[in-house]
Amino acid sequence: MQTKHLTRRAALKTGLAGVALAGCGRAIRQAPSAPPVISNISIAKASGYTMDVYDTVYRMLVEHRLNVRGKRVVLKPNLVEFDAQTAINTHPMVVHAAYEAFVKLGAADVRIAEGPGHRRGTLDLADAAGYFSTFARFEDSFTDLNTDSVTKRAIPRSVTKLGSLYLPNTVLDCDLLVSMPKMKTHHWAGATLAMKNLFGVVPGGVYGWPKNVLHWAGIAESIVDLHHLFPRQFAIVDGIVGMEGNGPIQGNPKAAGVLVAGSDVVGVDATCCRIMGLNPARIEYLQIARGPGNLGESAFHQIGDNLSSVKTNFAVMDVWKEIRLS
Amino acid sequence: MTDWKSKQNHDGGWAYSRGCSWTEPTVFALVAQSAVNGHAGQSFTEGLQFLRSMAGPDGGFRPQPGVTESTWVTSVVTLLPREALGEQRYDRAIEWLKGQTGRESGWRYKLRQRFAGSKDEFPDGWPWYPGAAAWVIPTSLGILAFERALRNLGAASGLRQRIDAGREFLLSRMCADGGWNHGSSKALGRDGDSYPETTGIALLALKGLKSAQIERAKAAARKHLAGSSNAEGVAWLRMALAVHGEPVQRGAETPCRTTLDLALMEIASADRNPLL
Repeated sequence: MQTKHLTRRAALKTGLAGVALAGCGRAIRQAPSAPPVISNISIAKASGYTMDVYDTVYRMLVEHRLNVRGKRVVLKPNLVEFDAQTAINTHPMVVHAAYEAFVKLGAADVRIAEGPGHRRGTLDLADAAGYFSTFARFEDSFTDLNTDSVTKRAIPRSVTKLGSLYLPNTVLDCDLLVSMPKMKTHHWAGATLAMKNLFGVVPGGVYGWPKNVLHWAGIAESIVDLHHLFPRQFAIVDGIVGMEGNGPIQGNPKAAGVLVAGSDVVGVDATCCRIMGLNPARIEYLQIARGPGNLGESAFHQIGDNLSSVKTNFAVMDVWKEIRLS
Repeated sequence: MTDWKSKQNHDGGWAYSRGCSWTEPTVFALVAQSAVNGHAGQSFTEGLQFLRSMAGPDGGFRPQPGVTESTWVTSVVTLLPREALGEQRYDRAIEWLKGQTGRESGWRYKLRQRFAGSKDEFPDGWPWYPGAAAWVIPTSLGILAFERALRNLGAASGLRQRIDAGREFLLSRMCADGGWNHGSSKALGRDGDSYPETTGIALLALKGLKSAQIERAKAAARKHLAGSSNAEGVAWLRMALAVHGEPVQRGAETPCRTTLDLALMEIASADRNPLL
């Protein structure tokens, strides 16, 4: 558990911030779930936020033969803070492309939903990040998950001591939850991708800003618990411009020029790690979710562009240097 | 002036924007109404009834009907007048708040930190949710609630000590730029940037203090106010600067996207602001 050790040591060094964010929960570890039948993970080159993104996202969904006709789909982007100088949030064009693609594929209802972990003004944040100018009548299609109605749900196969969580009804009631993160390094988790993005479904109106109960329960373990709570997921990762270094907020933009998608969210994250030059077997939440032996390249069937053609090493903070692929 | 009745749910509460009623926007909608109309009116009465239904058996308040645990909103509820809420209900809520501190204030955590070589102090703040760490907004709200309670319950109530500790907590979490963010002023040694809303509410909770740190905070507040279009932030910043002797003239219209935005802006603009 090298990365775990690093996280907590780093947290102690940082004093108060570490107190609250790294937590010191003792998780209940269970054996990782068995790997699914080898799953398809799509990799698609995307050189920039151009109109081509619409075709690319649609093609990726078709590749996966998603049957969403008549279904309720929730797109969950990653909105954290806004800084025009960097690339913190999922680009609105990628989310809009997914929105249009799911409508085209016959979805009965497509909503965008997010519950940022730091800022209470979700709509202001979405506006600053360009969502109001990208979507016509954005507010009509959007749910603030921090203030949605909630239901308490027991966590299946829980690896924390949380036992249950209040969760927004918008995501509990949907037929397909689509995690749409930004491809970023993360100073507490190593990398933040489709699985970590689900921290945003935990309602701030109940647990606060940040959702600190998750930190005390263990960040990696909470990521896995949230993954277990939503069995009907798909992931589309915005790696066109990601973030490297001190992510998820203070890092530097990294043009990786790629979109990654799939129904096997663990596989999508593991593939993203490889693209970023990180070893998925050393990312703690992936280890817990799937087991380090089930995260190799052969565990997934890559479709679309070659992984090697889009691989670009993301810089990591010194405390995370052990997760780099050699 | 907002037509609060038209935005009120059938259960008497208000949503943040749409959907189910929540305790926090309901309280601030009532405070906004009382700033203009006093405590009269059917809408106000129905709002109070909703809030009373949110009282938990432990004395605290629930954030919305689907949640059974009492949380940070208890301090928001006690910003209402004691007589409006009911004396017994109000006093029990204050007692509940007295028992809440950040998890880092507990002996178990402190002991672990000592063993790890840390000499950091952990003044008592308030968490968002029981069992979690203390953060800037719930601590600020706790201070505001206890300041009001001190007027109701007197110096013998033992509230002063928590107010002082809460202020110490806030000052320890100030960002390098003089303002506050959610409560992580540093992450892995890097300075975090402050936000308008957290800077405003923290500075308001430090009412009456005078120091170089407060002057820096006021400068950060002025800077945020000049550049922010977030109504919640603008409202708290205006209230904060007012209590620190810098009343702000109403500027350009700030867009209000939620019930909370509307209520806080109306409260901040009131001639007789009940929160100050």
